[in-house]
Amino acid sequence: MNSVADTAIFFGKFLYYFLESLVFKVIPKRKKDVSGEIVLITGAGSGLGRLLAIHFASHGATLVLWDINQEGNMETCRLVKQKGDVKVFAYKCDCSSRIEVYRVADQVKEEVGDVTILINNAGVVTGKSFLNTPDHLVEKSFLVNAISHFWTCKAFLPAMVKANHGHLVCISSIAGLVGINGLSDYSSSKFAAFGFAESLFLELTMIMKTKVKSTIVCPYFIKTGMFEGCTTKYPLLLPLLEQEYVAQKIFNAILEEQVYLIIPKFAYVALFLKQIISPKMMIALGEYLGVDTCMTSFTGRVKAEELQMETKRKEQ
Amino acid sequence: MSQNLESVKNLLVFLGKSLLSVLEALLFHVISKPRKNVAGEIVLITGAGSGLGRLLALQFARLGAVLVLWDVNKEANDETHQLAREAGAARVHAYTCDCSRREEVYRVADQVKKEVGDVSILINNAGIVTGRNFLDCPDDLMEKSFDVNFKAHLWMYKAFLPAMIANNHGHLVCISSSAGLIGVNGLSDYCASKFAALGFAESMFIETLAKKQWGIKTTIVCPFFIKTGMFEGCTTKCPTLLPILDPEYAVRKIIDAILQEQLYLYMPKFLYFIVFLKSILPIKTGILIADYLGVFHMTEGFTGQKKKT
Repeated sequence: MNSVADTAIFFGKFLYYFLESLVFKVIPKRKKDVSGEIVLITGAGSGLGRLLAIHFASHGATLVLWDINQEGNMETCRLVKQKGDVKVFAYKCDCSSRIEVYRVADQVKEEVGDVTILINNAGVVTGKSFLNTPDHLVEKSFLVNAISHFWTCKAFLPAMVKANHGHLVCISSIAGLVGINGLSDYSSSKFAAFGFAESLFLELTMIMKTKVKSTIVCPYFIKTGMFEGCTTKYPLLLPLLEQEYVAQKIFNAILEEQVYLIIPKFAYVALFLKQIISPKMMIALGEYLGVDTCMTSFTGRVKAEELQMETKRKEQ
Repeated sequence: MSQNLESVKNLLVFLGKSLLSVLEALLFHVISKPRKNVAGEIVLITGAGSGLGRLLALQFARLGAVLVLWDVNKEANDETHQLAREAGAARVHAYTCDCSRREEVYRVADQVKKEVGDVSILINNAGIVTGRNFLDCPDDLMEKSFDVNFKAHLWMYKAFLPAMIANNHGHLVCISSSAGLIGVNGLSDYCASKFAALGFAESMFIETLAKKQWGIKTTIVCPFFIKTGMFEGCTTKCPTLLPILDPEYAVRKIIDAILQEQLYLYMPKFLYFIVFLKSILPIKTGILIADYLGVFHMTEGFTGQKKKT
């Protein structure tokens, strides 16, 4: 009798949630108010980190910016202050060092308060074929892209759990859902970040801390200079994304408390297909989408900076 | 004009290959794929001292392979050595190695290359689990999990893949986990490491494809909990759909997958369906199903393997 009742309740809830999600596909979800929230962004000195900082500043949040690059971080600070009367705190921090993360985290807790929105965004990429990547660079990839998430969460999650109020945001990648040629270290670190964030999400659900939210973001390549030189075979299906567009989507996802965000939408289809098709078909699909050739002309951040210097020189 | 032609050609090639692979997959569902002969192959298994590693070693012994056994626990490893000889293995070599240490991996790998030869089947199986909630898990244990379950794979690939590529002959086997496909509460460090292992093996597989290294095969194994003592205390609510697997069954399926050069192996078969559901269902329904299957309470009674050393 019990199991019949159980199953009936299960199907009832299932139907309800399914319909609810369909409804939300049509009418947009309510966006939460983040004014006064303390938002910590790692890797805030450039790219996505910087743009997210500016978005949060425009909505009245207090910002805590972490980056290993002091100059970039200060620049973000300056751009954020332009948004008006915003409280912003910049700290230099090498996320790959556990001791440093804890030390700077303590500073933040003392000088600013309890972080309520944690955005694990800092990331590095080497972009070489695995056997040609020196061991220390492989280690560094991991320490920054995945292990740093352990330490930042350890530092800031307890306060969120205690107050039953918070939001953990993990910037993973499409490379964290499917392996990509030429990105083995980056890919596996992003897989790790994804798995860790998902695990934590379930742990929080289990202990009924329903007001501590999670958002896991998996974008395709974004034009921030990080993946300079990468190509895409079919820009209609898998475009190299514009920074502004991605930052806006991520910001919205956080405000709507969405759990997973995969950009572009076509990637949902590709990932769905990956689950049902045989490996050979998956390979054919991967080849078709250029997964094996997208990294061949990768140059990365260095080239982008050189180009910037060239343009500056020409302007002068 | 020629770009359009190029796109059309690519699309046709893709559709053609897809059709062929669907037909091939259907065919192999009816008739069994041929199993390759591994007699004489040099098989290296990490974590061979117990559980899955030991059982795999014994199976490979019966198939006539040369065994190289690595484990951090010398006693257990020696026991596997003994059992392998009894199972009929002609050549067995046992080495004590802490896979979490990069320098040790390289040192012992060099020994193997000198004393045994080029490893042709590499089975990254060594694994540990802490089984605690994230905030209760000490930092150094989290790091250790990650180092053994995943970083070790990096160093093993670096040590043994070059020779496989030079010979255009090799098989890389990654023992990941169902916790490498879906996050599980109470296993955050384990999940992160198993996700990473899967992603790495997949990425490297694509790398070998892109470089047209057809002789290098990859098999990625994602089992649910196996009754080896590693996950002692874990329970399942639905033993028909998600059983705690019998080790003999698991090993048989893994060996088959390796001999048939299968890319992915999820056990039990219901896992394929779960992963498929995960990719299409909204979150709340996904959690509902997980709750119904008892996933959230799986690790509550976790006690784990009794510490040996």
